[in-house]
Amino acid sequence: MKSIRKTSRPLALAAAAMIGLPLAVSGCGTSTASSSEAVKEISVMDYYNNEPDKSFIGDALTSCGTQAGVTIKRETVPGKSLISKVLQQSSSKTLPDVLMLDNPDLQQIAATGALAPLADFKISTDNFAAGVLSAGTYKDKVYGLAPTVNTIALFYNKDILAKAGVTPPTTWDELKTAATKLTAGDQYGLAFNANPTYEGTWQFLPVMWSNGGDEKKIDTPETEQALQLWTELVKDGSVSSSALNWTQADVKDQFLAGKAAMMVNGPWQIPALDKEPSLQYGVVKIPVREAGQTAVAPLGGEVWTVPQTGNKARQAKAAEVVACLNSDEKQLSMAKARNTIPSKTTLADKFATENPKLATFTELIKTARARTGQLGEEWPAQATKIYTAIQTALTGNASPADALKQAQGQ
Amino acid sequence: MSLTTDVSQAAAGTAAGKGSRKHGRGSGSAMQVPRRRPRHRRERIFQWLFLVPAVVYMALFFGYPVAKNVVMSFQDYTTATFFTGEAPWVGLANYVTVLSSSLFSTSLLNTALFTVGSILGQFVIGLALAVFFRRKFPLNGILRSLLLLPWLLPLIVSSAVWRWILDKDSGALNRFLGDLGIIDTGIPWLTSTSLALIAVVGVNIWIGIPFNLTILYGGLQEIPDELYEAGSLDGATGWRAFWHITWPMLRPVVSVVLVLGVVYTLKVLDIILGLTNGGPANSTQTIATQSYALSFHEFKFGEGAALGNVLVIISLVFAVLYLRASRRAVDE
Amino acid sequence: MTTQLKALPASAAALPARKNWGYTALAIFFLAVMLFPVYWMVNASLQPNGTTLETSWLPLKPDFTGYATAINEQGGNLVTSLVISLGSVALSLAIAAPAAYALAYFKVRGAGLVLFAILISQMIPGIVVANALYTAYNDLGLLNSIPGLILADSAHGIPFAILIIRAFMNGMPASVIEAARVDGAGHIRAFWSIVLPLSRNSLITAGLFTFLFAWSDFLFALTLTTTEAVRPVTLGIFQYIGAYVNDWSSVMATAVLASVPAIVLLVAAQKYIAAGTTGGAVK
Repeated sequence: MKSIRKTSRPLALAAAAMIGLPLAVSGCGTSTASSSEAVKEISVMDYYNNEPDKSFIGDALTSCGTQAGVTIKRETVPGKSLISKVLQQSSSKTLPDVLMLDNPDLQQIAATGALAPLADFKISTDNFAAGVLSAGTYKDKVYGLAPTVNTIALFYNKDILAKAGVTPPTTWDELKTAATKLTAGDQYGLAFNANPTYEGTWQFLPVMWSNGGDEKKIDTPETEQALQLWTELVKDGSVSSSALNWTQADVKDQFLAGKAAMMVNGPWQIPALDKEPSLQYGVVKIPVREAGQTAVAPLGGEVWTVPQTGNKARQAKAAEVVACLNSDEKQLSMAKARNTIPSKTTLADKFATENPKLATFTELIKTARARTGQLGEEWPAQATKIYTAIQTALTGNASPADALKQAQGQ
Repeated sequence: MSLTTDVSQAAAGTAAGKGSRKHGRGSGSAMQVPRRRPRHRRERIFQWLFLVPAVVYMALFFGYPVAKNVVMSFQDYTTATFFTGEAPWVGLANYVTVLSSSLFSTSLLNTALFTVGSILGQFVIGLALAVFFRRKFPLNGILRSLLLLPWLLPLIVSSAVWRWILDKDSGALNRFLGDLGIIDTGIPWLTSTSLALIAVVGVNIWIGIPFNLTILYGGLQEIPDELYEAGSLDGATGWRAFWHITWPMLRPVVSVVLVLGVVYTLKVLDIILGLTNGGPANSTQTIATQSYALSFHEFKFGEGAALGNVLVIISLVFAVLYLRASRRAVDE
Repeated sequence: MTTQLKALPASAAALPARKNWGYTALAIFFLAVMLFPVYWMVNASLQPNGTTLETSWLPLKPDFTGYATAINEQGGNLVTSLVISLGSVALSLAIAAPAAYALAYFKVRGAGLVLFAILISQMIPGIVVANALYTAYNDLGLLNSIPGLILADSAHGIPFAILIIRAFMNGMPASVIEAARVDGAGHIRAFWSIVLPLSRNSLITAGLFTFLFAWSDFLFALTLTTTEAVRPVTLGIFQYIGAYVNDWSSVMATAVLASVPAIVLLVAAQKYIAAGTTGGAVK
């Protein structure tokens, strides 16, 4: 029929557009070559999108920018969307001059070649805690430095514990006894986060690592003992089974409302806890299995990096800003403002004295361990296995040993 | 022939024949524009002008992403690829990996249960409410519009609120059931492997009811009252009126609501992630959430794309069924 | 056999003399059950910490700090969302209505293929489209622009609107359009003067959902903006959700405030979905 030829023309047009437009569009827009004119402005991307962190970091960035003689153009994105944005910018070659990354993601991104080694810009890495350097290093080169870091510990409600005649536990047995004793009515003894995300894995790492467990292979007796502890706490009823769904923010809400006598959480919750005047809390390290073992805590916090933008002048300025953010002065001021811990071990004593509420955390940072320290880019897969095993064991679907074996084998 | 008589004849014809569209719509179905040879070409061009903007728009916005997603599923696509652009071809390896993983059978089953449960609940309740709202009573319009609120709220807010409502210890639902004396201890809606999927389906039904209600209501409004009057003269009221008048006239709208419902439900991601993150112990893990986790948590983009395409293929089956059904309807 | 076309009181239609408050009561009951979570959201927005962990059924001691924050900071974002959503509705209907008409009434070759493509477009995960759009928008300079977001949101709305409007049109007797064409009306006149008014219900229904898709879109808002210049309220809410701590009271207050203009618009639009437009237009 004559009409076939006519009607197929628009279809052909559409097909051409389908292929043509992306080709045409990808042709334009290339990254600028390095220019010899002075750099006036550099771009920064981070995930401190909510107050008060947004202003604290913003002020630090502005001040460092002024020192380096540039203005800062800043983009803040919600936490969960940062990596998507980084990937989009990688493929369109529009990475910012300074990029903040959550420390367990650094090695993943460094492996793509998108970041420049900080040694290229002569940025000193002296006196940083071992865990911080371990997180920021990929194939023996340091790609990112964190000015402040954090970890998790055991918060306890002083009044509730005093009334029940319980002292803050230091070993697993003491923890189990205390938690059982403190569970009464609608109050649970302990609250922690065991949800099927990396947060659940994060909260489990202290008991796993302190006992000698290894994240490379999780179906070992040491890790099994740790998972046994977690399972028994839930089975005994000292920890609500809602822990399988809680985030760390939910755990804090439970503790604040008096529904949990103890909680595993981090120092960023302190402002919310302080807002409640009737709440008297204390912080101790998360208990170890036997007295004498070292409490090992996981390292949290964000690193600042200098992406490969192809413009040497801008990279140099970006490196200046990164170095400034990691200076002693900035570490102390940001840590105090944001309730985190400075990364340099030389500042630890001074900081702990001036901020007694953060003393336990400061102590823990000295021996804190980076999650990507051994596994690098392989960490995400292994972290998934850990929380899968936790969920399987805590729901009673399998014994801790079997849960770990199943998860490891996947 | 007056137009009045035309429509009434068509209407009467439909009411008389038991839902058979052959009589009533014979003269009125989508049909050929009378051919005028000299203007035949212009006809065709005009007809395509109606369609071209939409086709071009969709080609621009969807053509490249679809093609890219298909190609990505055959490549070893990692975070490095975003920066370097290199992605080695691995053929069907990604598909083999995802389809043979132990998690796939769980996700497939969960997806099937989730979809069937959601569609059944949303559609039945939506249709019932749509029929109910056909009656004229005061505040009808406002109340019907307020029922769109579940669809209006940002998903981050809906999932947070539902998490609080379904919490085992202090959630509103358990408090309510406890106050009524129905239960003693809290039901672990979101933390029990047997209940979590049901809870998630329930929330998805809640979100989907406005969609079904509004579209089905619009479709019901298209059915002329005269048909019901004619039908009631023949003794068809209530349930019989529904079965012989409403249901046949509503068929095109029902099929589009169902096919869109299935396609959208298969894709549901944010509400499941917001409520349970796929847990506990993968009991609410669907193919969509697994694809997302593979790409954005484990950075295995090739496998994520492969699993996403498996989902598209499943949706395609329903799409083909819909096209068959709607073509047959038009031809009658 | 001709039937009376004047409205006869029949079966379930209301007798104008009697108001059916009984049905209203039943409807309010359904609403109360369905909208409890919305009420719970309002309750949460009035709590000091924004969560409902400790709350009673009624917010007896309302705390308005969340609302203060929301009003101060999200006003502009609300306007942005409104402009983008309404723009998306206008664009989507302008493109979708003619296309739906063509697919419903013309026997064009490739109509089945087009429908198939439309359905496929609804199956694609949003993130795939967003990633591709980012690169294109970056090169075209469409990032951080309202027209850019209108275009992106319409990409979801157009295929959906085509499907809905076409389904409704399939239920319309084509004899009416036939008669008009016989009388010599051109395609465009037939479309404009006869088809569009008859399709009022489907246009409003499709428009409603196109508005809702655009209003609740988060993915394109996040991907296609890099500054705070153009920030729809769905993205604005996220400035209270941080990596470490959340300000739920502001989140809930913003959600409540954002719902108000949207619901007002939706109530107004729903009034136009009238019964039996096919019969009525014939007069």
